[in-house]
Amino acid sequence: MKLPALALFERSLRLETRSAMMCWARAGLLVLILLVLLPIQSMARGGWYGAPGLHFLQEMVWLNFVFITLAGLSYFASAITEEKEEMMLGLLRMTDLNGVSILLGKSTSRLVGALLLLLVQVPFILLAVTLGGVGPVQIAAAYGTLLAYLFLVCNLALLFSVVFRNTTTAAALTFAVLLLFLFGHYWGSALLQYKASTGQLNLQRGLGAKLTWIFDFWRQATPPDRLGTVFQTGFTGPAIGLQVASNLMLGLLSFLLAWLVFEPCTREEKDASPARRWFFRSASRRSRIPPGLVGPGAISWKDFTFISGGRMGLVVKFGLVAFLVGICNFMAWEFGNKRDITLEFEGNSLFWISLLMTAVCLALEAARLFGDEIRWKTLSSLVTLPISLRELAYRKVAGALAGTLPLLAGAVLGASMVPKDVGEFIKAVFRDSAAFGVFAVIILQYILFLHLTAYLSLVIKRGALPLAVAIQYIGGTFFMTFVAMIFSFGGSRGPGALCFVSGAICVVLTIVLHRAIGQRLTRAAAAE
Amino acid sequence: MTESNQPTIEICDLHHAYKRQQAVRGVSFTVAPGAIHGFVGPNGAGKTTTLKILATLLTPQRGSVRVFGFDVVANYRDVRRKIGFMPDHFSLYRQMTVQEYLDFFAAAYGMDVQQRGRVVGDVLALTDMGARRNDLIKGLSRGMQQRISLARVLVHDPALLLLDEPASGLDPRARIELMEIIQELQRMGKTIFISSHILSELALLCDSVTILDRGTVRYSGPITGLNQSDGETGEYLLSLAGEDAGVEAALRKVGGVIDVTKPSKAPQYRISFHKKQTDPNLLLRAALDGGAQILGFQEVLRQLNQAFMDLTEPGVPPVMMEGANNAPPAPSATDSGGPQ
Repeated sequence: MKLPALALFERSLRLETRSAMMCWARAGLLVLILLVLLPIQSMARGGWYGAPGLHFLQEMVWLNFVFITLAGLSYFASAITEEKEEMMLGLLRMTDLNGVSILLGKSTSRLVGALLLLLVQVPFILLAVTLGGVGPVQIAAAYGTLLAYLFLVCNLALLFSVVFRNTTTAAALTFAVLLLFLFGHYWGSALLQYKASTGQLNLQRGLGAKLTWIFDFWRQATPPDRLGTVFQTGFTGPAIGLQVASNLMLGLLSFLLAWLVFEPCTREEKDASPARRWFFRSASRRSRIPPGLVGPGAISWKDFTFISGGRMGLVVKFGLVAFLVGICNFMAWEFGNKRDITLEFEGNSLFWISLLMTAVCLALEAARLFGDEIRWKTLSSLVTLPISLRELAYRKVAGALAGTLPLLAGAVLGASMVPKDVGEFIKAVFRDSAAFGVFAVIILQYILFLHLTAYLSLVIKRGALPLAVAIQYIGGTFFMTFVAMIFSFGGSRGPGALCFVSGAICVVLTIVLHRAIGQRLTRAAAAE
Repeated sequence: MTESNQPTIEICDLHHAYKRQQAVRGVSFTVAPGAIHGFVGPNGAGKTTTLKILATLLTPQRGSVRVFGFDVVANYRDVRRKIGFMPDHFSLYRQMTVQEYLDFFAAAYGMDVQQRGRVVGDVLALTDMGARRNDLIKGLSRGMQQRISLARVLVHDPALLLLDEPASGLDPRARIELMEIIQELQRMGKTIFISSHILSELALLCDSVTILDRGTVRYSGPITGLNQSDGETGEYLLSLAGEDAGVEAALRKVGGVIDVTKPSKAPQYRISFHKKQTDPNLLLRAALDGGAQILGFQEVLRQLNQAFMDLTEPGVPPVMMEGANNAPPAPSATDSGGPQ
């Protein structure tokens, strides 16, 4: 290529295609395809599936969809922010490269790499036709859907990457907009239906009809809806539908917007190191360590304050729980039966919202707890404190856990409001080994997930959390399929044994990751 | 060895390798208490590896490293209490204020509230950052961030400071001020082990120096020991009132003279000789006997940067593995110079 505008693109493309990570990703994909294929084929032989090809295609396409949505976020959202974070964008702008060549070089090369990862699957996916139950048009349409969606995700993330200063914000905003894109029409349609049922809106004419058409169009533009159509038996086309066209258009629009705002958003190079959170920007800017917290306790204080948000963070989290409970009340009041709003309803809302938020907060903190120390090269100053690395790590974890206290308190409060439900739940868990096993496996899987997130944050620069979600989802899916298959062929040992094996594997993996985190921290401190 | 004359740092036959690279091999030297010890060498010489081993961040693969008599592996907690390590990058929590940052480290070293208040005030006064105590670190200039890094290292009053490139990237004023702070710290009784590429400043600052190249020690000892070219040969510069061709011939006849050269167009001769076979008085007599009108006769003292150039190899070091025998032979200065 001789065009100067494409120089960076060409270089990035060359690096992307030659990178070891891409080779591993391709090898991983092949393993993934085999892992999906083997149990489906075995189960088809056993007469479990009527259309094994369709099941194979469905599994692969949904896995790709989840992977694009989660792992793709940080990968694409860091295209420009990584240059900002490393204060390199100014140097790039000093060269002959203009905005579009930087965007092409930094983002489109990644898109091409990801597209290739999708396309490389196609020859293997064609096996689905041989397996039966699916036609080539369905494969083309499914992969066309994914390609268009990938284009949209990439360019949407690029837009936020240009606008925002750090990857976390860019990825979070991209995720929020994607959620809105994927599910917004459900909420809109539900609202319309409600308004129609109360007689406030006529869906057959006027504004009601227009809004119905918009939400219907919106629904058809989303990949899940399109894939639902494609996977129907007897689908004959067309391979390219409204979803592909609209996703490509939206992606292109995002790219053009990114190009438009590139100059104003990148004119000034600003420090992208972690900022002080808004909720403790007090006038004196002083956050005192409590007198009792000396020695390793001070480390817990630091992470409680600067990772979890400190005392103001506790208030904010509690306020957020109260706000979400309030929303539940509002929804029940507006759309449900007002008589449903009882103490039991409040208790259940408080319990489940607090529990969910605890899980989310812990995951977010696991991604930052050690990753931030490495990213901003502060680990060596901590490691030279006169304590062991193990103690240092546990103190940090304790600090982060302290930040979730209001959420746990909310869960306990919620549970205390519904003692009967809690009692029934406990009874159900301890009723038989299978129920207890399922409960234990869920807890163990979550602990494994936290370890995986923390470990990935030490290995990759950014995107540990979405990657951990994707790995856990894919790994969990395969693992459960395999174990279920082994058990089904090996006789009827029951779900209790299945849970025991799953739990044992979770424990082993958690221990392995636990040790790996320690080793990685030691190496990282020395490498700073 | 008694407490008073026990070396602050005692490294003996230290080896450490990374995957494909032998970073240090057979490094041995000592640092006396209360000294400012310079640690110099080209990039890739093994300085940072040695420093990280001293700071207990890396474990030596062979050999022993002791700090105040404590082994860096077995007694790492004792070593950490005694040292303050300032890496070559700013290890700062940039979202904290200066006060918070120092208070945090003081608390992490186990100080109570009263002690912390006093210590933080003291280190801020020493580094002249008291006026910025409530500022966010993120908003400080590079020089100020460097001062905060140094202040952090001082909060637990370590007896040994390990400073890796403390002056890199600082403007001249900030560098001079940093050097003054280091001298003040020496007066306070601290031992300072400083790795730097700014040789002119090290030459003024240091009492002793270790020159490392390609993982081996090329010189370790007092900085005055470097001023002589080496232990066995000497160099003198003879300045004359005018050109005199007979002088060069007369000097060459003196036994033990290795070479006589003219370093410039000026009427000067540079004489190198074996110290065991002759001495400067004989050279001076030979010149006078040769009829020269002598303006000056002085020993050529090497500066640190000249010694550095003489003792280290040019170019980027190749990948070296233990036993590969691809290391250049160490110059004799290593054997003769300073305490090993």
